[in-house]
Amino acid sequence: MLADDFFLVAWDTTGSGRSRLHLQGIALGLAGALIAELVLAQRISVRGVRLGMVDARPVGEKVADNVLSEISNSSHHTDVRTWLAYLAQRSVADVSGRLESAGLLQRETPKLLKRRQPRYFSTDFSRAMWPVTRLRLGLVRRQPLSPEDMALATLVDACDLTGTVLDEPSDRRVARQYLTTLLAAMPQPLSDLSRQVGAAVGDAVLTYRI
Amino acid sequence: MRTVKSAESDPISGALAADRLGAPSVVYFVLSAAAPLTVVAGVVTTAYAITGITGLPVAFLVVGIVLAVFAVGYVAMARHMANAGAFYTYVTRGLGRPAGIAAAWVALIAYNALQVGLYGAFGAATTPLIERWAGVTPPWWVVSLIAWALVAVLGVMRVDVNGRLLAVLLTAEVAVILLFDLADLINPAPSGFSMETLSPGALFEPGVGALLVIATLGFVGFESSVVFSEESREPRRTVPLATYSAVAIIAGLYALSSWAMTVATGPAAIVATAQRDQADTIFVLAAQHLGGTVVDIARVLFATSVFAAMISFHNTTARYFFALGRERVLPAVFGRTRARSGAPKAGSIAQSVFGLVVIAVYALLGLDPLVQLFFYGGSFGGFGVLLLIFVTSIAIIVFFLREPSGETVARRLVAPVPAAIALAVMVWLALDNFGTLLGVPEGDPLAWILPAVYGVAVVVGLLWAITLRSRQPAVYSQVGMGAKAATTRDLT
Repeated sequence: MLADDFFLVAWDTTGSGRSRLHLQGIALGLAGALIAELVLAQRISVRGVRLGMVDARPVGEKVADNVLSEISNSSHHTDVRTWLAYLAQRSVADVSGRLESAGLLQRETPKLLKRRQPRYFSTDFSRAMWPVTRLRLGLVRRQPLSPEDMALATLVDACDLTGTVLDEPSDRRVARQYLTTLLAAMPQPLSDLSRQVGAAVGDAVLTYRI
Repeated sequence: MRTVKSAESDPISGALAADRLGAPSVVYFVLSAAAPLTVVAGVVTTAYAITGITGLPVAFLVVGIVLAVFAVGYVAMARHMANAGAFYTYVTRGLGRPAGIAAAWVALIAYNALQVGLYGAFGAATTPLIERWAGVTPPWWVVSLIAWALVAVLGVMRVDVNGRLLAVLLTAEVAVILLFDLADLINPAPSGFSMETLSPGALFEPGVGALLVIATLGFVGFESSVVFSEESREPRRTVPLATYSAVAIIAGLYALSSWAMTVATGPAAIVATAQRDQADTIFVLAAQHLGGTVVDIARVLFATSVFAAMISFHNTTARYFFALGRERVLPAVFGRTRARSGAPKAGSIAQSVFGLVVIAVYALLGLDPLVQLFFYGGSFGGFGVLLLIFVTSIAIIVFFLREPSGETVARRLVAPVPAAIALAVMVWLALDNFGTLLGVPEGDPLAWILPAVYGVAVVVGLLWAITLRSRQPAVYSQVGMGAKAATTRDLT
C-alpha cells in the first residue's frame, strides 16, 4: 500500500536501518500517505484544506480501517492539517507495524538507549528497493504514473526527499520539472493533499523550537 | 438542546493538545532567544562606553511600554495571518506585496547583522576565560571562528539543543543578573544611592535616539512569540499572555540591571568605568562584593549566553531565507530542507558564509570585535528591527481599517495608533542620533551610510516586487504566505 511504499522510500531498510528523513518529516509524510490511501480507495475526499467522508465501509486492512473509523467518528474535524498532525503522532509506529506483521520488516530496538528510534531492516531486498527504483525510473524517464505512484512521488517531494532518491543533479532537475507537471495533471484531491503535507513540513521548520 | 462536544470528550483535540505549548513555555523560548546576559554584560556596558550618555535604564522602560502597546495590535493581527512568523508577512497583508518584499529584505539584512555581531561578542566573552584557564591569549577571531564552525555545523545538522538545558541556562543567567544587581544596589558608590538614570529627565539629553535603538535591540526576539500561534494550547490567550509577559520581563530586568550598574559606580562614573572595563564591567563590579567563584560562573554563563544567542539568531535568519524560498521570492533552493535533519539547509549555509566573510574581513582589517563588530552589528541590526516594527505598526492599522475581523476598537485603533506615532518618533530620533549611537564624531559618513543600507534594501525590494509582478505573477501572488505558499501554488 501507499504508506508502506513511502516508508520504504524514506527509511533506509536495506542499509543502516535508520530513517533517511528527520522524524517530524517522516511522521507527516506517512500521515499524508495514510490519508492518500483512503482517498485512492474512494473512502474520503480532499478539497483544498478540507477533508470529508465519502464512504465509511471498511477497506479490509487494519491500519487503514482504524484511520477511516477515526475520521468518520470525528467528522466535525475537517481540516487536513489537523488530521496530519494527529495521525503523525503514531504514523511511524502504525506503518512500520503493518510492514512488520506482513513479514517485510524486522525491528531492532536499541538495547542501551531505549528512547532512540528503533532500526528497521527489510527481509526482502527487492521488495524494499522497488518503490525507490520505480520512482527513479518514472521521474527521470518522465513515464506516465499510476495515481498511487503520482501520490507517492509528490508526497516524497513534499517532504524534500526527491534529492535523496535521485543522486544526480541533472536527474533532479528533470524530476522537479516533471513533478510540477504531475501536480497539475494528477487528481485534484491527491495534489491538494500533497500540498498540505508540503506546507506542514515547511511550517514544522518555521516553528521549530529554538 | 444540542450538546457541543467538549475538548475532553474529543480524542483528536485531546491528543493534539497534549503536545501544545502553554504561556510559560512560549516565554522561555522567547527569552532564550533574547539572551539576557548577552544584553546586560555586552550590550548595556558597551552602550554606556560608546554613547557616553546614561539614560539607558529609563529608555528600556519607555521602549517596553511602546512595544507592549504595539503588541496589542500585533497579537490581534497574528490571529488572522496564515504565516504569523515574521514582520514582513504583516507588512504584506497590511501595505501590499511590494512593501512586504522590501520589508523582507530589511529583515534579512538586520537579522544577519545581529547574528554576525555576536561572533565579535563571543570573542570578547571567552578570551578572558581562556586567558585565565589556559594562560594564553588567542586573537579574538580564532575563538570566533571556532564558534562559527560549531554554529555552522549545528545549523545544518539541526542538532537538538536540549530545551531543558536552555531553560536551565536561562534561569541561571537571570539568577546571576539579579544577584549582581542586588550586590550593586546594596553597595552604592560613595556619591550615594542615585535614581538619576531612571528618571524620565535622563531622556531629554542629546543623543536619546541612540538609547532608544539600543533598548529596542534588547527586546529583539519578543516578536517570535506569535510563531507559536498554531502550537499553543489556547492561541487567543497563550500568545498575548506570553508576549506581554516577555516584554514586561525584558523591560524590568534590563532597566533594573542597567540602573544597578549606575548605582554601583555613581551615574557620573559609569561611562568612564564602561570605557575602561568594556564587556568586563559587570564582572569587575561584582568581583568587589561577591567573590571569584560566582564571577567565574557568571563569565561562563556570559559565554554560553552569547553562544545560545548565536544559534538562535542563526536559525531565525536561516528560517527567513527558508520562508522566502518557499514563497519563491528567493530561489527555490532556499525553500528546501536537508532530509536527514529537516534543517533549512541553503539558508543556513548562506548565513554561515556571510558570517565567515565578515569575521575574515574584520580580522584582516584589525577592527575591534566588541565595538566595531558586536556593537555596530547590534546597533545596525537593532535599527533595522526598529524600522520593521514601525512599518508593521502601520500595516496593523491599515489591515484592521480594511478588515476589522471582529476585533475590538481597542485592538484595532486605540492601541495601534499611539504605538505607531511613538515608533515614528523613535525612528526619527534614531536617524537623527545615529552618530551618537556609533560613537563617531559629527559628520562621520558611517552615521548616514549604515541607515542608507536599509534605504537601498527598500528600493531593491520594491524593484524586485515589480519584476516579480510582471514576470512571475504566480510567485508574486503568494508573497507573505511562508510555508503555506505550497498550498496555493499556481502551476507555471
